[in-house]
Amino acid sequence: MNRDTVNVFFLWLVLTALGEFVILGTDLFSYPIVGAEEGHVVDDAFFFLTALAVPVAAFVLSMLGYAFIRFRVSGPDEDGPPVKMHRSWAIFWLLWTTGLTLFVIVHPGITGILEIRHLGSGEPDLVVETEGSRWYWTINYPDGVTVKTFEEDAEMVLPVDSHVKFEVTSTDVLHAFWVPAFRMKVDAVPGLVTTISATTIGLGNYRDDPQYRLQCAELCGLLHNGMDVPVRVVSVAEFDAWLAEKAVTAA
Amino acid sequence: MSFISPFRFVIRALVFATIGFIIGSLLASLITGATGEPAEEPMLALGYAGALIGWLLGIGVWDVWAREWIGLQPRSLNAQSWHQYFRFSTDHKVIGTQYLVTFVVVLLLAGFLAMVLRVELAQPGIAFLSDQNYNTVMSLHGIMMIAVAVATIIGGFANFGVPLLIGADDVAFPRINALSYWIIPPVAILLLLTPLFGGFDTGWTAYPPLSTLGSSGTLLFLLAFLTFGLSSILGGLNFLATIVFLRAPGMGWSRMPIFVWSVFCAALISLTATQFVAAGLLMVMLDRVVGMGFFDSNRGGDALLFEHIFWFYSHPAVYIMILPAFGILLEVLSHFARKPVYAYRWVVASMFSIVLISFIVWAHHLYTSGMPDFLHIPFMVTTELISIPTGVIFLSALGIIWRGRLWLTTPMLFALAVVFNFLIGGITGIFLADVPTDIHLQDTYFVVAHFHYTIMGGEIFAIMAGIYYWYPKITGRMYNERQGRLHFWWMFISYNATFLPMFWTGVWGMNRRVADYTDNLADLNLIITGISFVMGASFLLFVYNMVSSSIRGPVAEANPWRARTLEWQTSSPPPEENFTTPPQVVGDPYDYGVPDSVHAVVSPSGGSSDGPAEGADRGA
Repeated sequence: MNRDTVNVFFLWLVLTALGEFVILGTDLFSYPIVGAEEGHVVDDAFFFLTALAVPVAAFVLSMLGYAFIRFRVSGPDEDGPPVKMHRSWAIFWLLWTTGLTLFVIVHPGITGILEIRHLGSGEPDLVVETEGSRWYWTINYPDGVTVKTFEEDAEMVLPVDSHVKFEVTSTDVLHAFWVPAFRMKVDAVPGLVTTISATTIGLGNYRDDPQYRLQCAELCGLLHNGMDVPVRVVSVAEFDAWLAEKAVTAA
Repeated sequence: MSFISPFRFVIRALVFATIGFIIGSLLASLITGATGEPAEEPMLALGYAGALIGWLLGIGVWDVWAREWIGLQPRSLNAQSWHQYFRFSTDHKVIGTQYLVTFVVVLLLAGFLAMVLRVELAQPGIAFLSDQNYNTVMSLHGIMMIAVAVATIIGGFANFGVPLLIGADDVAFPRINALSYWIIPPVAILLLLTPLFGGFDTGWTAYPPLSTLGSSGTLLFLLAFLTFGLSSILGGLNFLATIVFLRAPGMGWSRMPIFVWSVFCAALISLTATQFVAAGLLMVMLDRVVGMGFFDSNRGGDALLFEHIFWFYSHPAVYIMILPAFGILLEVLSHFARKPVYAYRWVVASMFSIVLISFIVWAHHLYTSGMPDFLHIPFMVTTELISIPTGVIFLSALGIIWRGRLWLTTPMLFALAVVFNFLIGGITGIFLADVPTDIHLQDTYFVVAHFHYTIMGGEIFAIMAGIYYWYPKITGRMYNERQGRLHFWWMFISYNATFLPMFWTGVWGMNRRVADYTDNLADLNLIITGISFVMGASFLLFVYNMVSSSIRGPVAEANPWRARTLEWQTSSPPPEENFTTPPQVVGDPYDYGVPDSVHAVVSPSGGSSDGPAEGADRGA
């Protein structure tokens, strides 16, 4: 081991520790409010990948930074050592990058997908049909209740602690159904019904946190940026009352 | 007259294009008049086809090429004068320079559009752009930057550099080469005309049904994109043939400079994948203009189909952009660290792996598109596998600089920054390849930040490295090193400060392609806008340095970097035939530090200010 190698090794340890401290010990990498079980899966995956990325990034930055400071010369004098490669180092590099890649594919990749799928399987407590049109949503609840989001005070009301299944489609161009608080998103495609589930946890309201909104996330032309509507997650009793009241008005 | 004469071919081309437009649109109105369909868009489309043909004939295809189709003697339009930059010259160095200047101008224009977007995004709410104008400016910024990213290296540096680096006197098909450049100005004109035709609001992705609706600006955009694709296909074909057949005697595949390898790999994608997006765009146009309904679900079409066709090209296309950037990166690192390209053969193998894998990852753009769920895992697997060959590029970059002798010139600084920026771009790519995180991040500013880190931080920084590196060879003069380094630090710091916060705005719920956003993101966006203007200003220094040095800069030696590759063994700028006699390649290009090693034997070339090209025997 020459001195440069030892120095970089310690630099790497320090940078890794520093990076992990920022992630674990500060709120720089905090996440927006979560309103669905599925959102926890997403945030856990995000957190895990960030923590895993730190030593990798720290390694490249250590070598880059150390070389930048230690190996600089003021002009073209002599050549560097004619090292074409170190076979064992290259093989080691290939092994750890491959290993890490396969690991990330399995977790949080495949495990996360299966977990989200598992949460979405089974009988939903509520099915909401959501239809995108330029530039509003038509939200169809059971009992013939319909909310069109261009109406005054329109909002998407959902019951808490419930498995809600959204059946999404479009009447014209591509849109996308996205509730940032749920971390769930799926495109609204004309001629196709796509589905997505959210298992709501905790009461939430757009007025308190803008992550509680239904937002179009696929460019749909002129008023794309205004194609959003507040989401309000309420207690089951309150939701039933709201639905019953709406059903009366509808009838 | 003397003012007009340099531009007489351009003027002739514009006249021919007008005639072509009139013929094409008359033809269209005759056809549609017979069937009673609305005629405006068919007239525009066929009129444009006529105009394109007229433009090309007028700029010089007639003189250089078409005359021989009817038995006349063709004429060359090459000349030792700046006039040849404004006509159908077949000299690869002229064409390379045309590409470079054109796309630096497009880069600056599209960058200016980005500044306009940032002003609108400084605060929530609609400030000064209407929704339609915001969408048009955003879409124009996108497609223009895509063009810059696709064509600057392949069209510019590869054209200028590849024949020189492999010891050839030109490319394999010089006339096709000139054609692929002269197709570009009509593309630029079409895009600049779109605001007059109502603009277009589809983004550069042109997803139907949106792109089959709306004003005729969308049609102009589709025509421009299709034409640009044609140029890209021809360019790919040309470089493959050039690299396969025109290497100097002795330049075996294992002695080829790494930049040439990277262009070879990018050209493979360019030739094959571009045809898919061309077909897709043609189908959208047929949907629009004659109502065929390929993507209209009311008539048995499928909107999702286009996304698959589009990304089957457009994901490999990002490797058309980044592979040659890797080539410039390793090239510059090797010469300025004065060490061989580390793990050269592994790098070549990795580039080919990237080409292959790039064709089977496209559906990671479609995780949330509503495609069947069972496709998520296979495409996540292929996508994440691509980080293994990409990791080998990092292995090589770090291996080159490790214990080297780093001469920190402007090109070297930009190359080192590519490693830094692409590290962030690559790592954040994992978050988008991973299905659970992508469901949230898809179509947010996290994606915007990610691709600006890979394409701008990776490729545009590599382009900057290339511009400074080859500037003395292209212009025959040295740029101002102090201004160059100042430009680097200015751009590097402000670039990172602009794009790094966008990862946060994305996670915190800011979606892409919007003029307005929720109030909680106001502070961060204001900061981004402020710093983005600092970054924009850095380009003024760059342009000043480039322009003033080309006029007043000190005359460059043949080999100011004491580099070993062949382009530095001829005068700056090189004579028309590149080398007075064909070089003989006798060794590796990167054997820095190997006693008595020689890359090539080059006989003294004429026209150089300092006589015989030194450096062929460097490294002793």
